[in-house]
Amino acid sequence: MKQSRSQRALGRLLPTLVLIASAIFFAFPLLAMARFAFQNLQVIDLGWNNLFEKWSFSSITASFSDDFFAEALTLSLKLAVGTALFTLGLLIPTAVWVHLRLPKARVFVEFLTILPYVIPAIALVAGIVVVKPHARWFLNSDYSLIPFYVVLALPFTYRSIDTGLRAIDLKVLVEASRSLGSTWIATLFRVVIPNLRAAIISSTFLTVAVVLGEYTISDVLLKRTFPSFMAQYRQSDPRGGYALAILALLGTTLLFVAIGVLSKSRSTRPQQVSRSQENEILV
Amino acid sequence: MTSLSFTGIRKTFGTTVALESFDLALQPGELVSLLGPSGCGKTTALRIAAGFEIPDTGVVSLGESVITDTPAHRRNMGMVFQSYSLFPNLTVAQNVDFGLRNRKVEKAKRNSRVGEMLELVQLGELGKRYPHQLSGGQQQRVALARALAVQPEVLLLDEPLSALDAKVRSTLRDEIRRIQTELKTTTLFVTHDQDEALAISDRIGVMSNGRLEQLGTPEDVYLRPASPFVARFVGSINELPNSNGVGKILMRPEDITISENENELTMRGTVTRVTFQGPVTIISVRVDINDQLVNVHAASGSIHVQVGDRVSLAVTPGRGIVEAA
Repeated sequence: MKQSRSQRALGRLLPTLVLIASAIFFAFPLLAMARFAFQNLQVIDLGWNNLFEKWSFSSITASFSDDFFAEALTLSLKLAVGTALFTLGLLIPTAVWVHLRLPKARVFVEFLTILPYVIPAIALVAGIVVVKPHARWFLNSDYSLIPFYVVLALPFTYRSIDTGLRAIDLKVLVEASRSLGSTWIATLFRVVIPNLRAAIISSTFLTVAVVLGEYTISDVLLKRTFPSFMAQYRQSDPRGGYALAILALLGTTLLFVAIGVLSKSRSTRPQQVSRSQENEILV
Repeated sequence: MTSLSFTGIRKTFGTTVALESFDLALQPGELVSLLGPSGCGKTTALRIAAGFEIPDTGVVSLGESVITDTPAHRRNMGMVFQSYSLFPNLTVAQNVDFGLRNRKVEKAKRNSRVGEMLELVQLGELGKRYPHQLSGGQQQRVALARALAVQPEVLLLDEPLSALDAKVRSTLRDEIRRIQTELKTTTLFVTHDQDEALAISDRIGVMSNGRLEQLGTPEDVYLRPASPFVARFVGSINELPNSNGVGKILMRPEDITISENENELTMRGTVTRVTFQGPVTIISVRVDINDQLVNVHAASGSIHVQVGDRVSLAVTPGRGIVEAA
């Protein structure tokens, strides 16, 4: 009995230890990066004794005043919005159609959407290089990045929408809407989309995270997006570059926290009325 | 003049024939139930009426108009589904209002209609609640109000009670019949529950393997089944040997009595089980003639037998249906 109690205690302790070890594993490099970016000390002088000394935001404020900072950030934000809209416009009708009319094709579509995750972005870049001479009119525009970002974000965004659709009784809701006189478009906007709120929020944030982190394609196409700017800025001012990286990381983390909070607020609805309560109400 | 009618409908899904030579015409204001086991085609017929399936051949009409290829949203039919189909993002009142908004009814009229409908299903106080705050029975009432709000030409009910427990089911069943009679809405009701169909319908269509086996009043279907399948599917049945030795006679348990006399028309047997079911007691007797088990329904308290008793069974003449061998 004693042994089983100690085993249970170990069972409870072990996950906590793993969690702490993982936290340390992730936190230490970030802490080191933050010290490098925000402490006005020579790298060689950084030690435990001066952990709390000479912290300053000067490196990041200097990067804000760079001529290209606002331009790059604005472009990336515009691209994020464009990519999110394009993704939702493409994915929601497609996923709804697959769920309703081609349920057997779901596995195939899932496989297709995971390809960008399996095939590295550099392969997509190789493809772009081949078609570049024939599609300059398109690739010259900054917004030509949007279709590429849509593809890159697909493994995350499709899963998010797909999960949202699985969580509702799509077929019945669509048929109920149709029987009440709604066209397909009205059904999509009045029934499907409002009930995919959490999935759409999560898909949008994931898209934004992908756009704010993608470097390879924008660099090949010579677009000055925020990640490209960060990479270039790091070459001239390494501390400022890493400070920007931390800022981007913080932004992405906040997006994921927001996904968690918003998804949770959907799932913490009051419980369905129980059968016994129902009998009291109705009989 | 008929309301909804199906003529010569055939519908297949791959190699499976869901409906074959299906003909049915509903009179205005009547409630017709389609009753049958799973996979008999009853839901397919309902979905064809709603416009969710298009038949391979045949014609669906609504009054004088052919609606075989009319899209679902232009059919003016109200439908209540088996599973809860309220829109989770809308309140009860907004759900009931949904179809009225689609029809661009002006706001004042819509509000008054929503109120009327919620009163009709006795949920007038719950307009501001969301579906997840309602019980299953309440959700189906709202679904009924929503379907009726648009004043549909035909109300389609796809096993709307099957997700509810027995007590709520029976209350809501009576409620549906009351409302349907009050509004005189032509209704097609799909169910696999014979008690439900017998209790609620003006006529019942019993279906098997995609075909309509019998269409008649509940009394017709129960007392005068057109085929052995109908006799077996609706109510309980005993299979007795035919006196000429060919085939069987199918008899309802209430058409067999335990007789004190013994003659050439009675069968002898041994009581194997006595099941008290409130007003009725089911007495199971293993008859000597073919060693089959025969169930007899007797008013509780009218007969006192015990397991092992030897008894004689008498059949009510003219009430059986002969099944050829």
